Amino acid sequence: MRKMPLIRIIEVLVILSLVCALPLLTAAQQTNFPKVKQYRIERSIPPEGVACIECHRAATPGLFADWAKSRHANANISCLDCHLVQPGDTDIAKGHEQYYSRSDLPYGQEKYKVPIASIVTPKDCSRCHPDEVTQYSRSKHANTIEIMWKLDPWLNKGMNSDNERKTGCFNCHGTVIKIDEKGDIDPATWPNAGVGRINADGSMGSCTSCHTRHRFSVAEARMPEACDQCHLGPDHPQIEIYEESKHGTMYHAYKDEYNFNAAGGTWTAGVDYRAPTCAACHISGSGKVLTSHDVTERLSWETQAPLTVRPQDFKPFPAKSDWQTERNKMKAVCQQCHGNSWIDDFYDGFDKAIMEYNDVYFKPVKAKLDELYSKGLLDKTTFFDEHLELQFYELWHHEGRRARMGVMMMAPDYAWWHGFYEVKARFNEFNEEADHVLKTGEKAYVYPNYPNATGNTKRPVEVFPE
Amino acid sequence: MKEAGTAPEGKKPALGRAVKSVILIVIGILIAFPLFSISYYTMVRTSTPEFCASCHEIKPAVRAWRESTHVNNAVGVVVDCMDCHLPAPQDMYDFFFAKTYHGIKDVAIHFLVGEYDREKARKSAYAAFDNDQCQKCHRNLLNIPNSRGAMLAHRSVIYARAGYEKKCVDCHYDLVHDDKIAVMYRQYRKLPYQAKGLRVEKPGI
Repeated sequence: MRKMPLIRIIEVLVILSLVCALPLLTAAQQTNFPKVKQYRIERSIPPEGVACIECHRAATPGLFADWAKSRHANANISCLDCHLVQPGDTDIAKGHEQYYSRSDLPYGQEKYKVPIASIVTPKDCSRCHPDEVTQYSRSKHANTIEIMWKLDPWLNKGMNSDNERKTGCFNCHGTVIKIDEKGDIDPATWPNAGVGRINADGSMGSCTSCHTRHRFSVAEARMPEACDQCHLGPDHPQIEIYEESKHGTMYHAYKDEYNFNAAGGTWTAGVDYRAPTCAACHISGSGKVLTSHDVTERLSWETQAPLTVRPQDFKPFPAKSDWQTERNKMKAVCQQCHGNSWIDDFYDGFDKAIMEYNDVYFKPVKAKLDELYSKGLLDKTTFFDEHLELQFYELWHHEGRRARMGVMMMAPDYAWWHGFYEVKARFNEFNEEADHVLKTGEKAYVYPNYPNATGNTKRPVEVFPE
Repeated sequence: MKEAGTAPEGKKPALGRAVKSVILIVIGILIAFPLFSISYYTMVRTSTPEFCASCHEIKPAVRAWRESTHVNNAVGVVVDCMDCHLPAPQDMYDFFFAKTYHGIKDVAIHFLVGEYDREKARKSAYAAFDNDQCQKCHRNLLNIPNSRGAMLAHRSVIYARAGYEKKCVDCHYDLVHDDKIAVMYRQYRKLPYQAKGLRVEKPGI
């Protein structure tokens, strides 16, 4: 074997030492790395709670930092206050318990073990915020699964697939949470932050739909961006309508000046905000009208229903309120910025639009649809598989809602071009086709092999007990 | 001495009246005292948890109570059935009549109906519960520095917004009469105590 020249040995040594020193060099260069959110435990938290914080600040730093910036952290409300459950509860996250026997984790010890639930529900929130939860439990938000199953042909006729529902419908409306014997949440029902989620403890809804985890901010829920995740699109474009309205344009122009962090009960029109957001009119207190998490309050028409009705006459979920009282509440909200004639004249136009939609467009089309069914020219067993059914559906569910909501929230483009203009066109197309069927007496064409109509048609027992 | 002669005539009936009254009072005391004592001792003897447990329907509730923190705590305070379930004894009238009414009702139902649905009874007990019952003892509820959430919640009960009146037992239920696997000592509570949150009435139940 040939001897290695000295120069070669030196070369190898230099390279080796450089490689070894590399981590030190890079560390020395990283003097400006972003600082981790600090949290010194200075106030009383039980040792189990300290374990949560110390472990999760390392394991899920984003989640931890989010909480650390919250009003909850400010008031020393920590993980356990919301996530703690009692032994024997059905929603204990059993998978989480493995971490208490992990010797590689500083807090991975049996003595820190507590039963926790992954899903925090309105019932948990009600421990500290009972009135808000009571209001919310009365709302169409909390009861949306019941309403959906009482109305919706997609579900009742099984016209879409379970996964189309999970990723589409239920994402906003909410799932019925199922937990198996091992304590794992059924992935078909989770993750979900839908407003009407049915939780394992029997409570309805999810506060985090609007006050997102783990900041739970009142400011966030006061912004239109909290609502636009669900209230958009062809069937109820509330956010697009708002954007077009004067309220929305003023919000965008002046939002930097808005004081979204005003204390509860103090958020004031004209002082803390120039033009209202969704919450300002529908939820937040204003003038003498008190805050309510029941979004059905202050409504005088159900503009999303096929036939527009008063909230107390909305059959699937009749409101316990009186529309006249609620309209007066909304008028009192308007009065924070507008004069009486402005408000009354606005409502005059809104009521007329509702009457025109109901009497001129919806009722005649519905009557003709019923005639087709009764004469056997349309098949009633399933929905959406005949063109006339789709036409009828879109007339009320798409442009019919756009027209009514566009008028209500003062967006001319949605009231007319995306609204009544299209209602008119749909009305004529529906009638042309329906009259043809009636005249010829030939049964309407049924789409063969309707795609992916595989969804479960059984109503959830948690909502409709047998 | 006509006047002197007439005077004893007038005095005699007056003295007789006084004697009569004294005799009547003594008779009254002789009748009333035993009656009063009997009812007093009856009240005392029928106010113990042991007496309540003499009805088999109530036994499970008394057992659960005996295992609860309302009996087992470091300060040695024991909260009896009557302390929560009946008006305070200082409200003599309410206490006496409520107790008699419930006694008669329970005995009548025991013999006439027979069936005892614990869940149903629990519900009607929650419905009948007054916050004053709890607040006889739990009076300092607004300042709990290590539990800001409880402070917030208690404010919403004690200074309730109109239409949002709540009962203590709306959140603090299953506190005493839940079936436990072991005796619960307050000072050995491993998990921090939390109210359960507003009771959820599941549909159809």
